[in-house]
Amino acid sequence: MTHALELELKQMIIDTLELEDVTPEDIDPDAPLFVEGLGLDSIDALELGLALQKHYGIKLDAESDDTRQHFASLNHLAALVEARRVK
Amino acid sequence: MMPITLQDWRAWQPDHPAGGDPRLSTNPRPKGDSVPAMLRRRLNVVGRAVCDMLAELDPEGRSILLHASRHGDAERTLEMLYALADGDDLSPARFGMSVHNAILGVHSIANGNRRSLQALAATGDEVAALFSEARGYLADGESDIVAVFSDVAVPSRFAEYLDDPVETAAVALRLSTTGGTPIVASRFDVPDGVRSPQPGDMIAWLLTGGPLLCPARRIAWELAPCPSSAGHDACMHNGLR
Repeated sequence: MTHALELELKQMIIDTLELEDVTPEDIDPDAPLFVEGLGLDSIDALELGLALQKHYGIKLDAESDDTRQHFASLNHLAALVEARRVK
Repeated sequence: MMPITLQDWRAWQPDHPAGGDPRLSTNPRPKGDSVPAMLRRRLNVVGRAVCDMLAELDPEGRSILLHASRHGDAERTLEMLYALADGDDLSPARFGMSVHNAILGVHSIANGNRRSLQALAATGDEVAALFSEARGYLADGESDIVAVFSDVAVPSRFAEYLDDPVETAAVALRLSTTGGTPIVASRFDVPDGVRSPQPGDMIAWLLTGGPLLCPARRIAWELAPCPSSAGHDACMHNGLR
């Protein structure tokens, strides 16, 4: 993943999810985004899915096991964006 | 008739002069630090103020909570309606927080309150509705309940449809049937031009005394301190109708 994409995704997460007092440096690219690690919840998952659609034109299936994988960490998310972005 | 008494209160009114009663906060940016940051981020300004007041009046999370607001989160609701009209997708977080019981919900998650939580709107009759609901719970045997009344200025595109401008304020009362100051209601011929009570009117009533007027029901509420035991009995006898 490029540094630029990493920073872009971190900023998207912070802005979209209105994370107070969190800076891009606070987000470990290998750490879990949900429950553990950053501590996001199910509403955040929906919100993040919407942001991916808006920013990169990526549509995810909420019921799919793959979606869980894509949201496992920032690195996983970046791989998804690199592979499937249409804008 | 069973009396209602006021045991304690907290209030928030950012445009009120600072430095008065310690129970009134005038901080334009309430901290909301009674709620963990990951929950707090979804609360708007009034939500933070209300959660902090509830944490002081119901620190152990054991009271039944009522929350009245005439307009609720009109800003988020209208933003979503405009987004729908434009064919945009709705933000799930904003949708979740636009519902009328959202603030009590966040507070209850933060402090572990698993009692009844009730949100209501009453087109200007919020004070009467809160006292009515409180009476119901107290009559059922609750020793006390906490009632919140809050509203914030509505977006300008909506404000023109209202008779009176909405002032930003929130107030929380711990109500009981014993202890504290009796709240006495009486019939009242409301003069023309008296507006439906807003949270700021209730705060003024708490700070400077009554009566608090409800034009729609022609009721006036007064706080009736009773210095002697005989006076106390008389107050109880005339309790809230």
